[in-house]
Amino acid sequence: MILKNVIAAYNEAVFDTDRDKAFEVIHEAIAQGLTPEDIVFKVVIPAMELMIKAISEDFDANLAQHFMASQIASQVTDEMVALFQSSPEIIGHIVIGTSHGDMHTLGKRIVSGCLRSLMIDVIDLGVNVSAERFVDAALEHDASIIAISSMMVHTARSEQGCLAVRQLLRERGLEERIKIVVGGAPYTWDTELYKLVQADAWASDGVSAAKVIKDLIMEMHK
Amino acid sequence: MITGIDRLVAAINGEKSDRIPVFCNLLDQGVNELGLASLYDYYQSGEYVAEAQLKMREKYGYDNVWSLFYVGKEAELLGCRKILFSPDGPPNVEHFVIQSYDDIHNLEIPDDIIHHPVFAEELKCLQILKREVGGRYPICGYVTAGMALPALLMGMDKWFELLFMGPPEVRDELLTKCSLFCQRHIAALRELGADVIVYANPFGSTDFVPLPYILKTGIPWMKRDLSAGLDGIVYYCGGARFNQVLDTVISQIGIETYYLSPLDDIAAGKQIINGCGLTCGVINDIKLIDWSEQEIKQEVKRMLAAGMAGGKFLFGTILMPYKIPERNIRAMLDAVYEYGQW
Repeated sequence: MILKNVIAAYNEAVFDTDRDKAFEVIHEAIAQGLTPEDIVFKVVIPAMELMIKAISEDFDANLAQHFMASQIASQVTDEMVALFQSSPEIIGHIVIGTSHGDMHTLGKRIVSGCLRSLMIDVIDLGVNVSAERFVDAALEHDASIIAISSMMVHTARSEQGCLAVRQLLRERGLEERIKIVVGGAPYTWDTELYKLVQADAWASDGVSAAKVIKDLIMEMHK
Repeated sequence: MITGIDRLVAAINGEKSDRIPVFCNLLDQGVNELGLASLYDYYQSGEYVAEAQLKMREKYGYDNVWSLFYVGKEAELLGCRKILFSPDGPPNVEHFVIQSYDDIHNLEIPDDIIHHPVFAEELKCLQILKREVGGRYPICGYVTAGMALPALLMGMDKWFELLFMGPPEVRDELLTKCSLFCQRHIAALRELGADVIVYANPFGSTDFVPLPYILKTGIPWMKRDLSAGLDGIVYYCGGARFNQVLDTVISQIGIETYYLSPLDDIAAGKQIINGCGLTCGVINDIKLIDWSEQEIKQEVKRMLAAGMAGGKFLFGTILMPYKIPERNIRAMLDAVYEYGQW
């Protein structure tokens, strides 16, 4: 199977949320001589970037497709990276969690899956994360991004959430070194809200968040 | 004096009352009405919730009252032992009942919800509401659809994992149990006098799952949830859009009231419903926190212009965020009362 066909077949499986088919395509490609590195860098990452592009161009993808695309990409990447000749180069580190008082996990799981497939190291701090923990963990893991997911308006706007993370970054002189990205339903309902909570950027969905975060990391590395 | 029930019945029949019905969903705000110290204190008592619901309806003049405390109450009925209370927003489920697939097998659905100890305060609340405003103002109950309920029991991401990638027999066992709970919950609310039952199902929205999935899998489970009848049932997808699904739900299930998403096109929704039922135009109540009174007035005017022609229309909110200033609640309602007159 030539590379072009592998990419097309894998993309189709991802858009159809067919995980078994996606793995079948990948395993067949390996059997025919593609390397695990080819699979990740020439199939999985381009497919993820294609999905990001499609969503940005108003492709009517839904939450289930976002979830499955991220999980398929993440699982294929995990399987392939274990077979790499040498460890892949990580392009950056981020910490992610839900804001203080928020127990909703789906958004950060979608973002995390997408980011892992894009070779970004994700440290998942879980749910109901305090501002101190976000900042301390970012320093501990040398993360350039703190990603805060909120599903409820009061947790998005809370003074113990993103606003407190901003305050800590300011007090500790870390604002140039660490950026804040937010996401979740309240930001979709009010697209100016990220400014009010003093985040550096936001994304309207989990897959797009991966692009926002990757672009921010690349910009900070310039 | 014209009551909320009069307005609702007129709207259902395609007739004109003095104005369109207004469903304003204030829950957490009740704590301030009663001057209580915390939302935790407020939600411990069915008397408190009922009293606040009655006071707020009286104060603002809208047309409905709620028996809902918070959505996590359903999880508590199924064994949730910890709810995370916040000072300024709805309580969250903190303890997930399902931690493993064995927990699904062991999950027990109460036979008798009405006399379940966890339901005792909601029972008191419903009894007070029925006694005080029954027959005059619609009493609303809230029921999570069988397909959405697992999110409250195991977390949404774990539910997505099971739903789309897990063992089908485990998934179906959980769906069967959750649908049974949904049916029993609806029956209990009806028996206690709820006039309106908001059937909440984000999985009935194309923002959540693809349309073919809704048609093939979602609709049969919804039919099962609603097998005891459609009286008072309101189709609501948790604020997610469903205009693309409307014609199928109408033809295959026959629900007669549709609580649109604030992101749905109201005129398009009404056109699809085409007189087969009531359409509720729903305001983006997160924006109500920061909008000026003038912006609120303009938005209400725009919504009513899109929805009122031909009748069979009401105005609604989602669950109003606690942080909306009282003046903005009043501005919204004043605008509906002004532009919503027949």
